[in-house]
Parts: sequence; C-alpha cells; structure tokens
Amino acid sequence: MKKMLATLLSGAMVLSLAACGNNGSGGAASTPGSSSAGSSSPSTESVEDVKTPTGPVTLNVTTTFAGEDTNAANYQDAIAAWQKETGNKLNDASGSSTETFKARIISDFEMGSEPDVLFYFNGVDSNPFVEAGKVVSIDEIRQTYPDYASNMKDGMLGASPLDGKNYSIPMNGYWEGMFVNKAVCEAANVEIPGPDTTWDEFLETCQKIKDAGYTPIAASFAEIPHYWFEFCIYNYLTPATHNIVPASVADKHGTAWVDGIEDMKLLYEYGFLPENTLSATDGETFQLFIDGKAAFLIDGSWKVGGIEGATDDIDNFTVTYVPGKNDRLTTDIIGGLSSGWYITRKAWDDPEKRQACVDFISYMTSDEMVTQFASVSATALKNGSQVDESQLSSLAVAGLELVKGATGMSAAVQDQVTQEARVPVFNGMPDIVTGKKDITIAVEELLDLVAAGK
Amino acid sequence: MSSNIYKNKKPVIFFLAPAFIFLAVFLYYPFLQNILNSFKEINNLGASAKGWNAPWYTNYIQLCKDPNIWTALLNTLIMIAATIIGQVGIAIVLALMVDNIKKGQKFFRTVYFFPIVIAATALGLLFNIVFLYDKGMLNQLRELLGATKLLDFKDSSHAMLTMIVPVTWQYVGFYFIILITGLNNISEELYEAATIDGASRWQRVRYISLPLLHNVICTCGVLAVTGALKVFDLPWIMFPKGMPSNSTWLTGTYMYYHAFESHNVDYSSAISVLIVVLGVVTAKTVNAVFKEKDY
Repeated sequence: MKKMLATLLSGAMVLSLAACGNNGSGGAASTPGSSSAGSSSPSTESVEDVKTPTGPVTLNVTTTFAGEDTNAANYQDAIAAWQKETGNKLNDASGSSTETFKARIISDFEMGSEPDVLFYFNGVDSNPFVEAGKVVSIDEIRQTYPDYASNMKDGMLGASPLDGKNYSIPMNGYWEGMFVNKAVCEAANVEIPGPDTTWDEFLETCQKIKDAGYTPIAASFAEIPHYWFEFCIYNYLTPATHNIVPASVADKHGTAWVDGIEDMKLLYEYGFLPENTLSATDGETFQLFIDGKAAFLIDGSWKVGGIEGATDDIDNFTVTYVPGKNDRLTTDIIGGLSSGWYITRKAWDDPEKRQACVDFISYMTSDEMVTQFASVSATALKNGSQVDESQLSSLAVAGLELVKGATGMSAAVQDQVTQEARVPVFNGMPDIVTGKKDITIAVEELLDLVAAGK
Repeated sequence: MSSNIYKNKKPVIFFLAPAFIFLAVFLYYPFLQNILNSFKEINNLGASAKGWNAPWYTNYIQLCKDPNIWTALLNTLIMIAATIIGQVGIAIVLALMVDNIKKGQKFFRTVYFFPIVIAATALGLLFNIVFLYDKGMLNQLRELLGATKLLDFKDSSHAMLTMIVPVTWQYVGFYFIILITGLNNISEELYEAATIDGASRWQRVRYISLPLLHNVICTCGVLAVTGALKVFDLPWIMFPKGMPSNSTWLTGTYMYYHAFESHNVDYSSAISVLIVVLGVVTAKTVNAVFKEKDY
C-alpha cells in the first residue's frame, strides 16, 4: 500500500511538472526564428485547400469589447445577430484590455491555444505573435479572398511595427486633442485656442489663466505625462516624421525628443501645471478640470465619454487642437487605429474555419458596423463613417469637427516603445522636470533599452 | 479494530496527498520556476523566455545598483517598525483600556475591528479623498483652522507618513481582537488578589496583564512583521508607481510594477526572490526577538 501511494504521488508530481514543462517547450518551439520563417509565408497547401464548410462552424473569438468598453453592448448585439444569420457559433472570450488580459493573449499564443479570430492591439503588443508567424497577413488573405477589407484604406490599417505588413483590420480608431473647460477660459477672459493658435500664444493664454487664479493645464506628470510628451515632441517634427523612434539621441528625432521634453519642463517651471502635478494621480487632475479649476486637458477620443459621464453640463466643454510650433501645424493631430481583427494561422490552416473567419471579420468591418462602433473616433473606411450628429453631445460633435479639420495625422510614437523601455522618461518625468535628471541622459537610457530589444 | 485505525498511517497519507500535490504544483513549482526566470530574459507577461541573461546573474547586479530597490527596502523596514509600534502598540493600549471598562466592550470591539472588513482598495480611495490636495478633508479642516495654503500630503516629504497612517489604522483592530481575547483569558482571581494586596490599576496592568500577555504580543509581533513585508494593495492605490518621484516604493509594489507595468518580468522575478529571502531572514529574526515564554 505504501509503495503504491508513493508511486501514485511521484507519478502525479512528474505528470504535473511534465505538463508544465511541455507548455514551456511548446512556447520555446514558437520562439522567433524557429517557427516564423516556416509559417509566416503563405501556405500553398492551405490556399489550394479552401472549401466551404458543410455545417455550422464554431469559432473561438477574443476581443477587448468587454467590461467598461463603450462598445461592449454593440459587440454582443453584433455577434448575436451574426450567429443567428449564419447558424455558426462563437465562443466568445473577450476581456477588458488590462495587463492581465494581454498576458493571457500572449500566453495563449505561446501554448498554442490561441483563438481563431482576435481583436487586439496592432502596435508593439502584437509583436510576439506576429514575430512567431501565428497570425495571417492581409496580403496573404487577399490571395484567396481578393475583396477582403476592400472597404478600407490600406494605408490606415495599422501596419505591424515589426515588419510593416498589415495583419489586422481596424474598426474604431482614436485621436488626441486638447479638451477645454469653457467656463475657466471665460472667467480668465481668454480666447479658446483654435486652429491658428501658436504655441507661444498658447503660453501667453496659460499665463493669463494662471494670473486669474486658475490652473492652466490639468495633467499629472507623475502618472500620465504621455499626452504632453507626444505633442511636445510632435512640435519639433511633422506628421510625416513624428512616428519614428530615434536611432540615437543626437539624430534629428533624438534632438526633437530632447527639445520636446525641455518644453514639458518649461511648462512645469512656468507653473502652468497643478501645484501637486508630481504627486497627483491622473484622476485627481481630471477632477480639477471637471470642477472648473483647470482650463485644458490633453487626452484621447475615449475621454469624450468620460467627460460626458462626469459632468451635468457637457456644453461647458469642447475639444480643440493642441497648439503647434515649428513645422508642425496646430491642426496636425495625433491619431490612428491601434487595434484590429486578426485571423490566426491555426484557424486559417483549418479549411473548416477559414471561410467562417473571413465572413465574420467582413461582417464586423462592414461600413455600417464600423460606423456604429467608431462613433466620434477615426476609421479607415474609404467612404468615411456616417454618424448621425443629432444623436451626439456638443463635445462629441466638436471631436468630429477636430478630425475633419485635421491637416495631418500621425500615430503616437510611444506606441512603438515598450512599457519597459518607457520607464526612464515616463516614470522619471518628475525627476526630469525638477532638474534632478538630465533630459538627454533619460532619452539615451530609453533608446538604449529600445536598442536592446526590451 | 479501533487501535488499528491509529496504527495504520496509510489513510493519513491518502488524505494529505491532494493538498501536497496542490501545493507542489501551484506553489513550489512556480517558486522554483520564478528563481529560474530571474536568470532569463522575459519581456512580456505570459511570454516564454528569450534565453538566459548575459551574464545570467544580470538582474542581481541590477538589484544592487537600483536605487529604487534600496528605497523599497528602507521603506519596508520603516513599514515594519510602523506596524510594530503603530499597529501592535496602539492595539495593546486600546485592548488594555477596553478591558478595564465594564460597559460597552462589545461596541468597541466592533468599532475597532470594522476597518478589517473593508476592502483595502476601498480604503485606499477613501484615504485619497481624506488626503486630497484640493479640498480634501484634511485641507478643509486646516482651512477652517485658519491655514491659508494647501498642504500636499502626498509630496515627497509627507508621502511615507501619509501611506503609513491608513495601513496602520486598517490593522489595529485585528491585533486588538487578538489581544483582548488574550486579556479575557487571564483569570479574574489574579486581579482580585492584587487589588486586596493594594495594587493600583497601573500596577495590575504592569505586573499581571502585560506579563501574561507576553506570548500573545509575540504572536502579534510576528504577524505584524510578516504582514508588513506583504503590504501592497493600499499603498498601490494611494501611491501608484512609487509616486512621488520614486519615494514610496515598497518591495511588493516595486515587484508588481516591474511585472505588470514595465513588463520587465525577469527583473520582477529577481525582486520576488529578494522578497522571499527578506521574509525568511526577517521571520527568523523576529522569532528570535519575540521568543515565547512558558509559564
């Protein structure tokens, strides 16, 4: 009996460890280099092997349309309608786009249990599975389905930062702009910055607002310096050159980064930020803006809903362009389409599922569906989104106007930098603006991490 | 037949096996894997390692050079001192006071224990409002008392105190309950005898209550110190990312930051190894300091 129990226990231990070990080796097998070369190129066998499924197909789908996402309900309605229409079934495993969710996605790909269809980020977050050749490029899909995503502008699909190829089809994009509390501007007797406002004029406006006893800019440089970082360096570049990570701190882009961060330091030194900007959370500074104690807030299109939910007087708020300087026009905005629909290699190579995947994504990325999901945000639709403005708040309409009047758009360059590499500049911002850390050294540290593949 | 039940140990092994397997798979194996991970290069949660670090002990060199680690260690030590003095110390005083009143003991037990049942995240948000710079509760009170300038309770010079106060406050009730239970176990006859001998109230506390509470206080001390090493949720809610200026890191928050925020998973593994080592060393030290006595 004792021997039997001992054998049983040892067996269970060995099996459990072996199981975990297998997962690890599965992951190792899919590491860069080992599988990407073999699987990223179109599989001729599978291309020739396309066949219409004989019965209903079940697809595993994972998206970020869950939890607090404004499109969670739209998504549920859409998939219910598609299932009813086609008779196919979807196993939905969507989740809020938290770090845990991202870890789950990466882990699923590592272990070979990835979904068939995935709505996920197309920036550096997608690098691990793109590098491993576990998703199919749009070009490859079009070899079999030439009309795939034909309603989209190819240049706006959101190419992979890894190889510049398109792998995903976006639905709703984003833009970043400067939200304004009109009452504060009125009380300080200043004009709301417009499309022609220059950076120097903006600084004068900030000074007047400060003199009137208000905080000009609501921003937590301790927690979220991201938006000001983006626009301040954009001011030394152009839409064509902004989205390039510097090769070194001394080159054109590196200099722009240093100069841009220097401008952030000046904003701090001029006292245009909340007094506690180095210890406040983003939520606290946002509340200053909502409560009529701060005039300006740079944030993304997703903040329209946040402001609508936080105030009873939405007409008191508007959104305008972030004033520009040098070669960047004030009307050049930051924006893009940072997520999209992927078909995984596993599903593509399954003749039963391939057609269903293409059908489902085509359905989700039709003009009508994209318009519904995008609302005020940017899209890649050739025909543009047809939004019913009468259903929108004045702030949302101002957001649409902002996009319509944009003279240029660049994606956020920070999306090309991993979280780990951002640390010296973003987490070190309090030390930078207080002069405890040299800007050039901080940028150099960031670029060193980028160069090291971190 | 009945004596055989106690002689035969096989059923015991059978019933212990599931728990052992569970621990082996979900605790010991991840722990060993974590040690290995600290020598590898892992840039994403859930991702497999890109390979071994070069040199393999890179993260441990970085640990020695990283100023934030030293800040975290120092802050953790401060937190340990604060928990011993603040949590256990205040709990002893409260327990002795409540033990000396005849009416309302149940009321005070409930009141002091109540913070324990509130989620730490909720407490974090609550204290964020209390310490809020612009029109927070404390700044409003200061204004009422004539202060003309707002005080930033979360700036570098006040941050640690602002973090320690709610953490201390949250767990005072926990130790209070343990201690008052210990006090209730002291025989009433001892106090009566001391009173007949002319002992004052203070003398009864000094020469009866405290000595007989010694072992309970030791247990509280060990729990407080090991608990302080694990403090995470409330500080993270109030001071995310070591705000302000990396001055409020604790070992737990710094490890979490590297795992979930900066995605430097291998370095966070090295930090967690450090935390385990620190925990073992501290537990040994505390056990030696708070040695229980036999009466």
